[in-house]
Amino acid sequence: MKVSFFETVRYLPPGPLRPEWPVPSGAYDRDAGERAYRDMIQRLEYVEELGFDWVSVSEHHYSPRILTPSPIVSAAFIAAHLKKITIALLGPIVPQSNPVRVAEEVAMLDTMAQGRLVVGLLRGTTNEYLTYDLNPKEARERTDEGMELILKAWTEPQPFGWQGRHFQFRTVSIWPRPLQQPHPRTYALGVSKESCEFAARHHIGCGVSYGTFESTARATAYYRQECARHGWEPTPEQIVYRANMLLADTDDEAHAMLDRQSKTAPFPLRPAVRDAFMTLDSRNVAGAPRAPLTNAALPTAFVGSPDTVVEQIRRCRDEVGAGVLDLSLQPPGTSDVGLLMRSLELFGAKVLPRIRDI
Amino acid sequence: MFSEGHVDADGFRIRYMEDGQGTPLVHLHGAGGLRLTPAHDLLSRQFRVIAFEMPGFGQSPENSRTRSMPELASTMAQAIAGLGIDEFNLMGTSFGGKTALWLAVEESARVRALVLESPAAIRPAGSVPPTGTPEEIARRLHAHPERLGPLPVVDPAVRAKMTALVARLRGPDRDAELEGRLRDLAAPTLVLFGTVDRVIPPEMGHFYTELIPNSHLVFVYDAGHAIGADRPEAFTEVVADFLERHEAFVISRTATVIHP
Repeated sequence: MKVSFFETVRYLPPGPLRPEWPVPSGAYDRDAGERAYRDMIQRLEYVEELGFDWVSVSEHHYSPRILTPSPIVSAAFIAAHLKKITIALLGPIVPQSNPVRVAEEVAMLDTMAQGRLVVGLLRGTTNEYLTYDLNPKEARERTDEGMELILKAWTEPQPFGWQGRHFQFRTVSIWPRPLQQPHPRTYALGVSKESCEFAARHHIGCGVSYGTFESTARATAYYRQECARHGWEPTPEQIVYRANMLLADTDDEAHAMLDRQSKTAPFPLRPAVRDAFMTLDSRNVAGAPRAPLTNAALPTAFVGSPDTVVEQIRRCRDEVGAGVLDLSLQPPGTSDVGLLMRSLELFGAKVLPRIRDI
Repeated sequence: MFSEGHVDADGFRIRYMEDGQGTPLVHLHGAGGLRLTPAHDLLSRQFRVIAFEMPGFGQSPENSRTRSMPELASTMAQAIAGLGIDEFNLMGTSFGGKTALWLAVEESARVRALVLESPAAIRPAGSVPPTGTPEEIARRLHAHPERLGPLPVVDPAVRAKMTALVARLRGPDRDAELEGRLRDLAAPTLVLFGTVDRVIPPEMGHFYTELIPNSHLVFVYDAGHAIGADRPEAFTEVVADFLERHEAFVISRTATVIHP
């Protein structure tokens, strides 16, 4: 099993913030922001030293919960500071990006990071669509088309035009091209039928997140089934599972941490906007409908002492089939960095050495 | 509405379908014969579209005379001249893309611009034209065969006649003689491939732009081998823009003002 540390940038606000998305921009504290990025590098140096394989970054907007509106900027900053760890750009929200720009920036980053890059492409969580005025009904189609264009831009040797449904370009011919050939290891991120089918069709990996083992396993089983239909079999490393973990010396302590956690998302959408999204944005797990968002806190898949967590990881490997775990050791948005650092230390000492063979 | 006509050329009586006004746009069909698509209708709003049925295809008698693709191209050049057309835009689909390339290199002064829809002039080694039941052929030709209406019924005798002719004329997968000539092809050329072409992989597209001096490659997203049938509006928009502006079609004219 490989492990990835999900870096969310821990912004410590000097005072309380209104628990609503978007968080007013004027409430941002520049010193806290400057410190957050500086501390991020210090933390990641430690993560690298502990032996984590990857550090992952994601795209989120208009709140301090995950302070990486442009994950590619974080990824480049991290790549410049850390020398060994693989950077997992998980990833640009494709339907609201210019796919050619994504292809160019990833190629630059892959080259500058000397091939220490993996890339996830995704449709993105629902609230993010408010950021750049994306119609939720178009998000799925724009994602599929954009991902296909990105793959094409990385691999076509001659200038080409793209006559799409949502994107049109007469001239695409990117420089630089990716260092890794034919392109960086790439994942389609998501549990939907469409995402799994895209990944299988294009012989790329599949990334699932935050569901229970049972629901994410439905998605990865579907992915593997589709890969077989396309005549290939993914390696364990081609399945990434992002999840929250609460690790403590004992099971009781870990469950006490879980009990203390807020049951709601730190910056939820207003109820009327959430309700409107529920009807406009359709989502599924391997074809079975699911709610697009709930404003609830993200679930925690791994809870307990090192012994317990190692067993949970073993079960995850068996059920979900994941060969890479992308972990938050304290949920994104929690400001107790001390707790996070203690969990990291414990994970590095008591869990990491025991899961390599899983 | 397209109307039927016939022209006598090179000893053949050649059927064609015609509609529209303006600059002639001559179309040479693929290995399955002449089939009008919604793209023909859309193109006929801007061009005088003449879609030929090449000798030996469809309703025409068996053609055991034509021995090579350059010969077929020569016959078609005479048919176009027989309609009193001197200069024209030329579009070839798949098998007809290779005919169109030969015609364009032999009659370079007459061809204003060339459009190749999923051309079959450069193929991966061992590639075979679609065969089988109409359903099997539709699955090879279209991105979403399930969205098609009733499939055209083709007389098995007609099918056999065309299959033999195509096998005789299609030439090698890499045709060194033709490829050598492409470097001198003067006509501005647009090459289109659907991203889900299941007959000729779209990865063949770049060979044309490497060989033809003034050429452009465009991928039509979510279209199969039959681009004009699968995504007629997208196909027509880029083809018509190219025929109108040639190389300058790379410059966008799409307005993005939302509230003037």
